[in-house]
Amino acid sequence: MAILQMKRLRLMILRSKKEALLQELTKRGCVQLTELDEEARELLRPAGSELMALKSEQAAYEKALALLGRYAPAKSPLLSAKPELPENSFLEKEGEESLALARKIADADERIRHIAAEESRRRGVIESLQPWLALDLPLETAGTERAALVFGTLPLKGGLAPAEQALAEAVEEAELFPVSQDKKEQYVLLLCTKEYLPAAQEALRGQGFNAVSFGGLTGTAKEAELRECKALEELAAEKAALAEEIKSEAGHRDELKLACDRLNTRVGMAEAEEHLAESDSVIFLEGWMPAEKEEELAGLFAAYDCAWECEDPSEEEYAQVPVKLRNNKFSNALNMVTDMYSLPAYGSVDANPIMAPFFILFYGLMMADMGYGLIMIAAALVAMKKIKPRGGTLAFCQLLLYGGISTFIMGALTGGFFGNAPEIIAGMFGSSWKGLPHLFSPVEDSNMVLYGAMVLGVLHLNTGMAVSFVQKCRKGDVAGALFEEGSQWIILVGGVMLALQMLVFKTNGTLHTVGLAVLIAGAVLLLFGSTRGAKGIGKLTAPFGCIYNTLTGWFGDILSYSRIMALMLAGGVVAQVFNTIAAMPSKNGVTIASGIAFILIFLIGHALNFALNLLGCFVHDLRLQCLEFFGKFYQDGGKPFEPMKVRTKYINPEE
Amino acid sequence: MEFLNSISGYALGLLGAGIAAFMAGIGSAKGTGIAGEAGAGLVSEDPSKFGKAMILQVIPGTQGLYGFVIWFLAYSKLAAVGDAVTVAQGMQVLAACLPIGFGGLLSGIAQGKVAAASINILAKKPDDWSKGMILCITVEFYAILSLLASFMMLNAIAL
Repeated sequence: MAILQMKRLRLMILRSKKEALLQELTKRGCVQLTELDEEARELLRPAGSELMALKSEQAAYEKALALLGRYAPAKSPLLSAKPELPENSFLEKEGEESLALARKIADADERIRHIAAEESRRRGVIESLQPWLALDLPLETAGTERAALVFGTLPLKGGLAPAEQALAEAVEEAELFPVSQDKKEQYVLLLCTKEYLPAAQEALRGQGFNAVSFGGLTGTAKEAELRECKALEELAAEKAALAEEIKSEAGHRDELKLACDRLNTRVGMAEAEEHLAESDSVIFLEGWMPAEKEEELAGLFAAYDCAWECEDPSEEEYAQVPVKLRNNKFSNALNMVTDMYSLPAYGSVDANPIMAPFFILFYGLMMADMGYGLIMIAAALVAMKKIKPRGGTLAFCQLLLYGGISTFIMGALTGGFFGNAPEIIAGMFGSSWKGLPHLFSPVEDSNMVLYGAMVLGVLHLNTGMAVSFVQKCRKGDVAGALFEEGSQWIILVGGVMLALQMLVFKTNGTLHTVGLAVLIAGAVLLLFGSTRGAKGIGKLTAPFGCIYNTLTGWFGDILSYSRIMALMLAGGVVAQVFNTIAAMPSKNGVTIASGIAFILIFLIGHALNFALNLLGCFVHDLRLQCLEFFGKFYQDGGKPFEPMKVRTKYINPEE
Repeated sequence: MEFLNSISGYALGLLGAGIAAFMAGIGSAKGTGIAGEAGAGLVSEDPSKFGKAMILQVIPGTQGLYGFVIWFLAYSKLAAVGDAVTVAQGMQVLAACLPIGFGGLLSGIAQGKVAAASINILAKKPDDWSKGMILCITVEFYAILSLLASFMMLNAIAL
């Protein structure tokens, strides 16, 4: 329910006991190591770690697992919990065999990729041989003792005649033989005496002649193609064998997962070790630990003969103190929101418990549908039972559950069950029933809902101001609290009095005078307060800024709560329209076909509306909390507490 | 006035209904189109991200739906009365349909751009793709407001 109190820990231990102590600390997961201060760094040298080596090992396991997933996909049920193992099993060293296995899988994949490249090269060769298949002349033939032979291509346009003519003009003893042609080119043989070859080629170059070389291929084109095809077959067989080899290791998947998680944990330890300093005989560490763990850790440190001390951080150090929130089941759900925004600064207030009721109430108001609420509750309960979520996922499921309950209750108040589905369905069967009873309906009483939303907004904002008021008083800034929050409250009281007089009593003159007096008193207090911190000419300009900020701030903030009404109404309207469209085919009585049409349109329409509202309501609720509410008091910028602990991805440590 | 009478209130109302449907439809078509192109680029590199890319692509699809909702309401309202709709009533329906027409058109395109940019998040930081979704939903709000404005005006018109 609060921000955990932290203590700075300084500790020295014999080198020989370092490994064991780090393991114990990792298991307990309650110490975050930090950089040493200047003084200590001058006296000691940084202790190295095997971080790089461990990271590359871990990457090898990750890669092997990804490859197993590709070649032998595991069939796992859609919703399933991660397996659990005792914490100790993550701290053991990993054997050589599993690393060798991981490397073997990676090598096999490397070879497969190599083969794929080789295959495409050979396919290219086969492609290039196609035009020469008709020729029964070995490809390596370069001519005879006196004659030269050149394989080449000519553009198809115009046929062979222009080239032949050009050749005849240039040299006497030369001839072109057509071999084949395709859509773009013709393939020819150039035969001439050796001494005329350069001249012949020069003449033909003008006609677009290009010599073709076969890069060491021997025999006729047909023979070469056969050889390539055979090689391709062999490669395909080798590739299949390698894939089979990877597949056959699928049984070791769990082993690799455990190895990967062990490495994860050890990488975390090594990262922490980078912060250690050492002399020849001792290791020195510095870090943060929750104050409540002091007793437990004292016993541990004594058992390892450590020399240690811990102290509360001073006010100046607050910026460096890591923040950990402690929440109960109810406010834990809101961790997701604070994490997404920013953690509160150390020494300020944890907003989760104060925010939780508002967040859940607003969510319900925006969604407001019994049917949607039931789906959310069911989804949350199933997920919690099946995947046994932890951490962020657990917070999400809890939020979904509470939001669902709230949505259901608000749906009951507004009479919404998948929009107006009960009424529509009754209408399809000829009933004139007017639907579920409701306290108020967003469509008919939209003005009331709008004002209600803004009243809730005023309450919400004032709660935020109250938090700020208490915080300032605690820090001893009572004057600041009175001038800022206090004066605004006085204005609010005066404003309410005036409003009551104008809207309700209408004739009561005294209330008007008193209200006006209170309002003016508040305004004077506020203006005076705004000049306190200002200097020189600022004393004159500050009040104007203050009036502007307060007025626009309050107007903007309160009007912003109209989104509660907007989303409530929009969700309901879209649902109603889908219901109406779904019921249209059944206008003249329900048949099997019109029944099926109803179900289909109903399902698709509501799935769409539900998904959109689920996300939309969350985002807008989030905005109201983070912008309007937090703006009144929240101090962000806390750094999360990241202790050395068992870090896993595939397997959960037992709790 | 003579001219408007010759067109008839019914036709003016239908024009409004049509504007709601087709302008919001264009918005969604452009929006999903922009996001879809970006999505196809990503899927060609990494087909396993198809599902998430598709979710981001359909987010700008809701404007067309909202336009259709207003079209449906306006059309059923007009069709129930038929030719008896006066010019004044027809103009009222036309005016009521404008917010979702323009709001849907422009917010759909704008949301499509955000969705396309969010597909970049999906490509580079797959763990944070849901944040891209949140950025998209911010634009959605203005389509919702347009829908509400059209809906409440339509509701207030008595035919």
